[in-house]
Amino acid sequence: MAIDMPAKIEGRGLCKTYVSARTGEKIQALNNVSFVIGVNEFVSIVGPSGCGKSTLLSLVAGFAAPTSGEVLVDGVTVTAPDPQRGVMFQDYALFPWRTVLGNVEFGPMARGVGVAERRAIARRHIEMVGLAGFENRFPHELSGGMRQRCALARLLANEPEVWLMDEPLAAVDLQTRNILQDELLRLWGDDADPASRRAVMFVTHGIDEAVYLSDRVIVMGRRPGQVKEVVRIDLPRPRRSLRSSVGAGRFVEHIWGLIRDEAARAIVEEAR
Amino acid sequence: MTDAQRRWLPIPVFAAILILWEAGVRHSGHVTLYPYPTGVTQAAIRTIRDGSLLAATLGSLHRVLLGFGIGALLGIPLGLLMALVPALNRAMSPIVDSLRSIAPIAWIPMALLWLGIRGNAALFIVAYAAFFPFVLNTIEAARQIDRKLIDAAAALGAGPALILRGVILPGSLPIVLTGARISLAFAWGSIIAAELAMGIKVSSGGSAAVGLGQLMVSTLYIRRDVNGLVLYMIVIGLISWAIDALMRRLQRALTPWR
Repeated sequence: MAIDMPAKIEGRGLCKTYVSARTGEKIQALNNVSFVIGVNEFVSIVGPSGCGKSTLLSLVAGFAAPTSGEVLVDGVTVTAPDPQRGVMFQDYALFPWRTVLGNVEFGPMARGVGVAERRAIARRHIEMVGLAGFENRFPHELSGGMRQRCALARLLANEPEVWLMDEPLAAVDLQTRNILQDELLRLWGDDADPASRRAVMFVTHGIDEAVYLSDRVIVMGRRPGQVKEVVRIDLPRPRRSLRSSVGAGRFVEHIWGLIRDEAARAIVEEAR
Repeated sequence: MTDAQRRWLPIPVFAAILILWEAGVRHSGHVTLYPYPTGVTQAAIRTIRDGSLLAATLGSLHRVLLGFGIGALLGIPLGLLMALVPALNRAMSPIVDSLRSIAPIAWIPMALLWLGIRGNAALFIVAYAAFFPFVLNTIEAARQIDRKLIDAAAALGAGPALILRGVILPGSLPIVLTGARISLAFAWGSIIAAELAMGIKVSSGGSAAVGLGQLMVSTLYIRRDVNGLVLYMIVIGLISWAIDALMRRLQRALTPWR
């Protein structure tokens, strides 16, 4: 599908096969997946359990290498993780032995920024996500929503050009999720100049969430993981007033129609 | 029974046992064969006054801590290397497994032969006893670290050195410290055994830096003081307890995120 801006991330014919640690059988997680994400574009990946959407994200992050095909970022093949590609994990992956401040300043520290400056950077981003006053708490002393904010601040502190988010809001309750969705949109630049926005790859189970946040939604199928359809969400921005609009409902229904049968099968097959 | 009564109940029971014990031994007439409470108390007063109890306790503790330190210094790096380098793990784990199944005290005769009775043999035994829990716990500690934390660090720009220093070492610390507690308890048990064995040689004409074990041997064979033996047993037990309490506190202080 053509996009109306330069590509930031490009996946070309991605295949990934791995051997299951549980059963020992070969599993094809991805089969010939190609996609493009524009420089200022918010793209969600949705699909039933086992469609390989998290695997796809880990290939873009550089945590794993594809069996065949390649991921390009700015036209350069991805071979390893890079601080220009910030990652937010489903279960936060905060360093338990570091305070909020210590977690957020880790990125600048890794890039060699001096103590005073990286503290200032960390404090600014902690404030940005609404965690001011909690700088010296350890992750286990925070609520789920606060941990998520901390993980977001940690990602933002490196000012990456790409945000890779693996079900970042799956582990919080519904109301917290709605609030965090709006904050994520605000930080991304939903109501700001489109040129200030980053390229986002957002993996989620939530179809409503994907429609609400995204410019486009990549719908994936399972066994093996493949792209079924790419849906352009041509709802206006800012989105904040559109949470339950009829327009959004139309996209949600369409995407659910694409996924429903496979999602139902996944419930049974996952147990095997 | 009220809560207060329940709490203080052990005290009269304990007092009753002490009185029955004392009366029983005196009645039997074998006061040189069986220890009794007032005799143990007298032994305590005597050995505290002449300084021999403190000197022996410090002697044993000194060697335990030194051996424990050597065990940590060698065991933690080896454990980390084995956890991080699969080839090294395959090469080393059969050796580690077979050596660790030899009880440290089984090395005592060999250690005496090589290192003599002047304390180095006991040091060797203690270091040996402490070494294996450190190796095994460090391997386990480094392996259980969540892969996602390493990925997260790499995605934030960390290179291998920072991943080691900023993720693997702090991530291993809680289990390594648990291992340290086991190591130290194990080392304390082994030093007493080693000193007992060395003490037997000392009592037959040698000399060595005195520890609690040697003191027990000379108390048994030279002084024939059963009350002294019980006193040393109590001191050994109290030190075990104190070491564990101290290690727990250290663990809490060093890993506040747990």
